[in-house]
Amino acid sequence: MGLDHIYEIRCPVHGFVALNAWEREIIDQPAFQRLKRIRQLAWTDQVYPGAMHTRFEHSLGVRHVANLLFDSVVRNSRALLESDLGYNETGLDRYRQLVRLAALLHDVGHSPFSHSSEDLFPERDGGGKKYVHEEYSAAIIRGPLRDVIENHRANANYAFSADDVAALIEGSAGAQKGIFWRDLISGQMDADRMDYLLRDSHHTGVHYGRYDLHRIVGTVTALRSGENSGLRVGIQEGGWHVAEALVLARYAMFTQVYFHKTRVAYDIHIREAMKAMLPNGRFPRPTELDKYLEWDDWKVLGLLAGGQGGEHGERLTQRKHYRRVYRSNEMMSHRDRECLEKLEERLGSLLAERVPAGRSKAWYKTDGSDIPVLSEQDGVARPLSYFSRAVSYLGKHDQVFLYCRPEDRLEADRIVKEVGGNGLA
Amino acid sequence: MDWRNLQKARMALFAELISRVPQASMGRTMLMKLCYFLQEVRGVPLGYRFTIYSYGPFDSEVLSDLNTAVGLDGVKSTVVYNSAGYGYRLEPGPMSAAIRDDGEWFLRQHQDSIDWAVEEFGDKAASEMELESTMVFVDREAAGRGEILSLDLLTDRARNLKPHFQREHIAARAKDLYSRRLLKSVKREAALSA
Repeated sequence: MGLDHIYEIRCPVHGFVALNAWEREIIDQPAFQRLKRIRQLAWTDQVYPGAMHTRFEHSLGVRHVANLLFDSVVRNSRALLESDLGYNETGLDRYRQLVRLAALLHDVGHSPFSHSSEDLFPERDGGGKKYVHEEYSAAIIRGPLRDVIENHRANANYAFSADDVAALIEGSAGAQKGIFWRDLISGQMDADRMDYLLRDSHHTGVHYGRYDLHRIVGTVTALRSGENSGLRVGIQEGGWHVAEALVLARYAMFTQVYFHKTRVAYDIHIREAMKAMLPNGRFPRPTELDKYLEWDDWKVLGLLAGGQGGEHGERLTQRKHYRRVYRSNEMMSHRDRECLEKLEERLGSLLAERVPAGRSKAWYKTDGSDIPVLSEQDGVARPLSYFSRAVSYLGKHDQVFLYCRPEDRLEADRIVKEVGGNGLA
Repeated sequence: MDWRNLQKARMALFAELISRVPQASMGRTMLMKLCYFLQEVRGVPLGYRFTIYSYGPFDSEVLSDLNTAVGLDGVKSTVVYNSAGYGYRLEPGPMSAAIRDDGEWFLRQHQDSIDWAVEEFGDKAASEMELESTMVFVDREAAGRGEILSLDLLTDRARNLKPHFQREHIAARAKDLYSRRLLKSVKREAALSA
């Protein structure tokens, strides 16, 4: 097939995702096919049985949405891109393909069961910070996928290096003038978020995650948000309602799905079970990719079926998961925190796990950043909260859950009732 | 540091910085970049992971923590509008002192670094903070690879990320950052040859 041939893959969310020959060859690589064996939402199927979708189709979806966003930004703000960033037609064509590749490969480094196991990444040399999955994605791009990126016939038109793609994903200076497009890969309104909200909503059957993708794509634009500030991605004023819908969808999916009490309990168990399975309780480093890439959901499930995973493996296979005995208010005051600390002290050894919502920042981005909106009246940017009262009142989800073992439930409930506080079980 | 103590440390730091940096300068960009400099230049263990965007080194967790601080009434955040766009003004909230007390142990431990950050950057505009932090980011990346940069090369790389600044301006900032001993990858010989 020629380089111009388009391959269409069916998608329950977007209808069809169209890949060019280059991308088709990339997804055929074992490192990318591995994503078919990594579930997007870990053990969420224990609560929402339909949630069996994988990182594979999500990655295709992100590629699709990123392309739509790119074309729309160019259509809506070409003059600004040319004047501020010096882009011409050739440059834009080049960045378009770069964004497509980065979007396609942004999750290739995920560990089994996605975010559940991110705590099991090893620490960097010198101690301190742990690796994150984006660093594994970058390593895979520079490693097993380097050849298919750099030496594919199609690359004669672009002269990309694997480093170019990796830099856009990991956020390193190597992204150079392409750094502007990083907001489409990992930002407040990125293609990742836009796809997973719709996809997770579809597969769980929870409709709160739906919003008008086509409207938001149609209104995305480049803009300047302040004096002497560079360009960033925002929304035309005509799209502020759908941007509001996106923010509210994210909030609803977080509270109803991603932070569902039973789902969180299973996250605890799969994390601890994998810790028991892994040598030294940690995944191999990004420098040991061959070993790392052996790990996927199938391997973990096989080990669980074989009786591995310790106490937590048993809790998973026998559905004896931890029970939530307390949840704080979604936004805690100083007094709420004092009450929570008192309760934790009283529960003592009955407290099996404490899960703060904001613990892992990878979790579906409920941060407080505000989407910039280009005002029609004066051509100046305003934050989304200027237009949307709902967004202006939406604070950060700071809730904490306390869990006990099911066998300790009665006693834990008694203590929670005794201590009181503003939370509920 | 466990998660709960890290949260207290961050909250205390935010309250401290916001009470000390002049109000006219203190917004989200200033807070973000101060956290960047404190962590990456002075080694203060804040646990953030900064990556580069067109608006400089950024970690959404800083803004998430800021929201927590606002929720605790430790910080008051107001949107400020002007003819060019908008920004945010951060001021101490009614519980600012309480939050600082909760993390007093952390503030004491890193007092020198906090004093340094306030003195070094406290009066800078947001756009300059974005530029300087971007340049230090480029510098630290190079240093991490064992690469030695000239001031010219640092300038070129920074300009790729901040093309709306004139090259002469970036070059002047590079010399200034070097004289302030904020660059690790630029050695004396490379600086003198610029």
